[in-house]
Amino acid sequence: MEQLRELIAFIAKSLVDDPDAVQVVAVEGEKTVILELTVAPSDLGKVIGKDGRTARAMRTLLSSTSARYSKRAVLEIIE
Amino acid sequence: MDENKRSPEMDGALLIDNDAASETKSSYSEVPLQEDGKAELACEMLIEILAHMDLQAEVTIRENAEEVVLDIKADDVGRIIGKKGQTLDALQFVINKIVNRFPEGRRHILIDCGDYRERRENGLASMARREAKRAMQQSRIITLEPMSPRDRRVIHLSLAKFPGVSTRSDGSGLDRRVRIIPSRRGPRGGGRFSRNREE
Repeated sequence: MEQLRELIAFIAKSLVDDPDAVQVVAVEGEKTVILELTVAPSDLGKVIGKDGRTARAMRTLLSSTSARYSKRAVLEIIE
Repeated sequence: MDENKRSPEMDGALLIDNDAASETKSSYSEVPLQEDGKAELACEMLIEILAHMDLQAEVTIRENAEEVVLDIKADDVGRIIGKKGQTLDALQFVINKIVNRFPEGRRHILIDCGDYRERRENGLASMARREAKRAMQQSRIITLEPMSPRDRRVIHLSLAKFPGVSTRSDGSGLDRRVRIIPSRRGPRGGGRFSRNREE
């Protein structure tokens, strides 16, 4: 699911101070894809956001995209 | 970016407004058109994100003194807007986070898709009027579902001149809701027990 991985990587890199530390690993299952997002510890707040709003917005964009592949995509932010 | 291209008149206006802004910490709404390149940056980022979402789209910038609006034109409008506009709102949220990463010169970017925002505002306003009538007829407070600040604002404005009701927002964060309060209120519990109002 390269497409989904790149979508999250692109958004995350645009949000953080340290884009080089951004990593997205896709773990593909039968019906779901889990995207594990890692960022620099100091950037965690930037990808989560107040009350998790940034993470929620990324998840919304992700599911809108993954629906095209009839897959459920889950975004996990690794702390 | 285009720092040097500003006309002298504009510079004056900017100075005055920047002062006002720093004093009152007021929002972007009073700052005149700024050629700070943020609208263009937002536009580029939006196109990139849409491309990553497999959406071919054209984005045009509508900019005035008060706001920057990015208008998306595409075939797959439904997917760009999403349920109740949630995809459009998510795009708008992320773009604002990216463009306003640094506190100085924050600008609010609005993202629209055709006349979607206008249609939604009209829909919200007519829903508000309907509920206001209901609040008056039943003499009880009607609490709407949780909404974004912008949507709540539309409700407040649309009922500002509506006779017989006032509005208020209650709750915090994502659970903030508008309450429509009739000025003549019946007894607690929705007026089912018709007690004499003047006791």
